[in-house]
Amino acid sequence: MTPLWKRLYDWVDERVELGGLVEYMGKKYVPVHSHSVWYYFGGVSLFLFIIQVTTGILLLLYYKSGEELAFESVQFITSKVRFGWLIRSVHSWAANLFILAAFIHMFSVYFTRAYRKPREITWITGMLMFFLALFFGFSGYLLPWNELAFFATKVGTDIAGVIPVVGKSVMIFLRGGEDVTGATLSRMFGFHIAILPGLFTVCLGIHLLLVQRQGMSEPEESGHDVKTMPFFPNFLLRDLLLWLIVLNVVAILAVLFPWELGQKADAFAPAPAGIKPEWYFLFMFQTLKYIPAKILFIDGEVLGILVFSAAGLLWTLVPFWDRETKRGRRARFLTYVGIVAVVFIISLTIVGWLS
Amino acid sequence: MAVVRHRSLQFVLWVIVASIAALTSSVSAQDQCRACHEALGDAPSTLFKNDIHAGMGLSCADCHGGNPKTEDMEAAMNKAAGYIGVPKGDGIVKACARCHSSAPIMVKKFNSLLPLNQAELLSTSVHGTLSTTGKEAIAACTNCHGAHGILKKVDPASSVNALNLPKTCAKCHSDARYMRTYSPALPIDQYDKYRMSVHGKRNISGDSKAAECANCHGSHGILSAKDVRSSVYPTNIPATCGVCHSDAQYMRGYGIPSDQLEKFTRSVHGVALLQKKDLGAPACNKCHGNHGATPPGVESISKVCGTCHALNADLFSKSPHKKAFDQKNLPECETCHGNHDIIVATNKLLGVTQDAVCSRCHGESQNPKGYAAAKGMRALIDTLESQEQAAIALVAEAEQKGMEISEAKFKLRDAHQARLESRTMVHSFNEERFKEVVDKGLGVTAVVREEATAALDEYIYRRLGLGLATLAITILVVSLYLYIRKIERRQATGAK
Repeated sequence: MTPLWKRLYDWVDERVELGGLVEYMGKKYVPVHSHSVWYYFGGVSLFLFIIQVTTGILLLLYYKSGEELAFESVQFITSKVRFGWLIRSVHSWAANLFILAAFIHMFSVYFTRAYRKPREITWITGMLMFFLALFFGFSGYLLPWNELAFFATKVGTDIAGVIPVVGKSVMIFLRGGEDVTGATLSRMFGFHIAILPGLFTVCLGIHLLLVQRQGMSEPEESGHDVKTMPFFPNFLLRDLLLWLIVLNVVAILAVLFPWELGQKADAFAPAPAGIKPEWYFLFMFQTLKYIPAKILFIDGEVLGILVFSAAGLLWTLVPFWDRETKRGRRARFLTYVGIVAVVFIISLTIVGWLS
Repeated sequence: MAVVRHRSLQFVLWVIVASIAALTSSVSAQDQCRACHEALGDAPSTLFKNDIHAGMGLSCADCHGGNPKTEDMEAAMNKAAGYIGVPKGDGIVKACARCHSSAPIMVKKFNSLLPLNQAELLSTSVHGTLSTTGKEAIAACTNCHGAHGILKKVDPASSVNALNLPKTCAKCHSDARYMRTYSPALPIDQYDKYRMSVHGKRNISGDSKAAECANCHGSHGILSAKDVRSSVYPTNIPATCGVCHSDAQYMRGYGIPSDQLEKFTRSVHGVALLQKKDLGAPACNKCHGNHGATPPGVESISKVCGTCHALNADLFSKSPHKKAFDQKNLPECETCHGNHDIIVATNKLLGVTQDAVCSRCHGESQNPKGYAAAKGMRALIDTLESQEQAAIALVAEAEQKGMEISEAKFKLRDAHQARLESRTMVHSFNEERFKEVVDKGLGVTAVVREEATAALDEYIYRRLGLGLATLAITILVVSLYLYIRKIERRQATGAK
């Protein structure tokens, strides 16, 4: 008697010829070395994104956009809908862990120079997804239409408005007008559930396709006698094991520290004291606070934003100007730049959190 | 001989005329202005004879400028000689301030103790604001003090003497046409009310110690009652009244206590007004009136309190207590709550305990029905309060545990509202009506408690669920780990 799963496999194989794919997967190997652990963060990011999509779709069943409905609908989800509180809390926690995993994944790729030829496009699509993830966070933060989200969005879009030449237009585009209103909420909702997922899916498709096509990058110093393990089933099962642990962590956080809803946004109320953006924007926010109002003839805030924009651009384009790695040499300078960036981000985030 | 006689007569006449001229005025020798004007017999010079400034040796020219030493009118009233004519508008204040704001003149020359900032105070006062002409301030010194017949304030004939001041102020403030051009919203019946007030009656009878306009409003630096710095701004009124009414020495002879301010300060109204700066809380004038200040008598006290506490007053007026209080001539609200020292009305006032006021009349033996009603109402309101507290505690616990409980929390307002309503309903002194309101509150607290308890149960359920999920995931993780080890061991064996 043939097992059911075997019969099912044969049925599909007969129609779509799975054999080739399985054979390809069977020949796919993952390098094993002292930095192999970093490979898993791409998978963790993917898993958290899947959680986001799933919980996001579930939330969509009850969420209502609009100044008069958004807060009340989230309140309804958390208090009346069966397991609504859990879905919302998981969505919020997984969003933060997703960005954290993306940060770790990005820096691990950077430090192991995995962006080098022929993986420039993988790096670029990864960076695009990273920026999209930040925008996912920014747009999603406003959706409950609570007091903190309202003022954080106001501050965030105000900062965008400082960008020279295009700032004002960007701010109006993001807000859907001069001020943060119901129009901003509708806009952010549109970004969050339609535009960003669409763009993200395209980037993710290319990214995953390239990872599968090109395989995992090996560290520069590993040489030719690198140990490997089969992608299927070894690496995939390890990935699955880690995903289960991550799922448990998300569940623990969601149950023990349910995401607060706070007070409904009121445009006429004074901004609450100590308003801060989400943690992943905190290092930039804190830096802008430290920059003097005027540096020579340039406005301090403008200069800060320009420097961050330039740094982000240079970081994204690193595969193209990292000549040392291209020539097969160790780019120590870039390692130091990365270390400074990590220390800078962590310390400013901590300072911002505590202040 | 005739010529000699004629010359002698001429000499005598000359001596007489010279003597008369010398006598008619030593003034005229120094102040030709007064010499001429007094000869003309005009009002200013006539009034000036008794003016305090004339007594101090001031001449017309000190205010009007010009040369008082020359008999030539043209030369005396020449602008080149500094003649300014009749000062008008702000020029009046400037003319007065030349001396009254100058320490060398006022203190050194005239040894005066008058304050030197009167002109400055006037300019920043409500009277110093621009008049409708747009050219000058509303009032100048002469509007109150007069121009040529200015007398010392203590002089009974002075327009600013305590006994005359109300009339002086009323000249403008009771003039509807005039006041409409400056402050249409300001009533013009202050003087009429004042005359009917205790202060006004005493003032009219000649008691200069009784408060007049300046005692409350100040004199030169009068500010609008809406100005927080004004002595009659709500939060400043108790202190303003207290200047006289808290001065035992000053109030001696009037037969009223002088501890009202002290009592008011610690009362519920005083705390709200003076500490919390709640302008809705009453100052002295809200109960006693301001210009028509008079103590509310037994017959009007519930009306006065009822101005704010309308529901309580209405319920009381329809209650059986109304008739009983009237018969015994008891002041309605005051009998239970006091007057200046009204404290926060807690449940303790109700019932038959030592702190309660009901048992003062409703003794267990002499009025058992009232005694039982008071005792029952107290038990009801105590139950409502304890149930509300229990509901609040449960909601707080659920909230502290991170449960979404905003709906139950919102319902707590209804419970609180019911308790407030019940405290108002006490004034109906009807046990049945009171119970209805209390029952409404108890119903709400029961629902809130139920919802909060359900939230706390859910809290435990969630943790239990998390524990089971963690256990299941852990078993899966361990199984997967063992499976990976198993296949890797198999792969290693196969490779060898």
